[in-house]
Amino acid sequence: MNFLTIFARNLKQGPQTEAFPLGPAFTPDRLRGRIEFKAESCEGCRICERVCPANAIRFAKTPDGMTFDCWHNTCVFCGNCEFYCPTDAIHQTNDWDLSHANVDKFDMVEHGLIPNQKCADCGATALNTAPMVKNAKPPLSAEEYTELRARCPKCRAKYLKNRKVPA
Amino acid sequence: MGLIPDFKKIATRSPWIYRINAGSCNGCDVEMATTALIPRYDIERLGCQYCGSPKHADIVLISGPLTVRVKDAVLRMYEEIPDPKVTVAVGVCPISGGIFRESYAVLAPIDQYIPIDVNVPGCPPRPQAIIAGVARAIDIWRERL
Repeated sequence: MNFLTIFARNLKQGPQTEAFPLGPAFTPDRLRGRIEFKAESCEGCRICERVCPANAIRFAKTPDGMTFDCWHNTCVFCGNCEFYCPTDAIHQTNDWDLSHANVDKFDMVEHGLIPNQKCADCGATALNTAPMVKNAKPPLSAEEYTELRARCPKCRAKYLKNRKVPA
Repeated sequence: MGLIPDFKKIATRSPWIYRINAGSCNGCDVEMATTALIPRYDIERLGCQYCGSPKHADIVLISGPLTVRVKDAVLRMYEEIPDPKVTVAVGVCPISGGIFRESYAVLAPIDQYIPIDVNVPGCPPRPQAIIAGVARAIDIWRERL
């Protein structure tokens, strides 16, 4: 009788085969897929470039600022960059469908630019990176954050030093 | 005379797949086996079937970064596959070298030796991604036939 139960169950459940490519594919929310970069929250520490085992990430200095490039064709989805990023500027999306024709090989790049800016205090040209304020006590207000961000690294240190901290 | 278009119609339904391991770590090979053999991802719905001989193949899946040691064997095997063939590079290794890039024992990227048509990056790619790549390859193959 056992085979009859199995037969009835299979009739009830239908096939186990996934519908893809004729229908949508099952994708877990936390699947480690394509890299996504947010230039506005990047701190410019370049730790991701250093920890990437496949050298997929490359920063370069250009006249406009610092560029970020991640070539998906070398990325091994290990997640080191996301793990080490201090400001959560790099994320792994759950997008897994990266198949492409060979002519588009070198277009599979996640590109980002951290632009240059003039320091609000001294006028020097510096990168408009996200400031490192995790350990600032008390935490910076939104206003202070934008003020801090508009400065060069040296003036940022001065700004944090001269900041009035209520006792 | 009238038979030839009919043959074409029948032939374009079922591309057979051949798998070349060009020094892969077997991660991609396991995913390719999963794609073909497990009912959950059943690639035979697309008419594809793995074949044991390169002479029967239409679509070639290549995994691995093409190590120096297997280069001659891979090229000889690739020559044996009849035209028109479509080549799919599975995994990041044949596309760019992946983590083995710039190694003295590795000749990646593979497209300097073999014309590649479709790339499926991933380390290893999901079975679904491989199916997407094969579906893309089938479209190219139908155009060529």
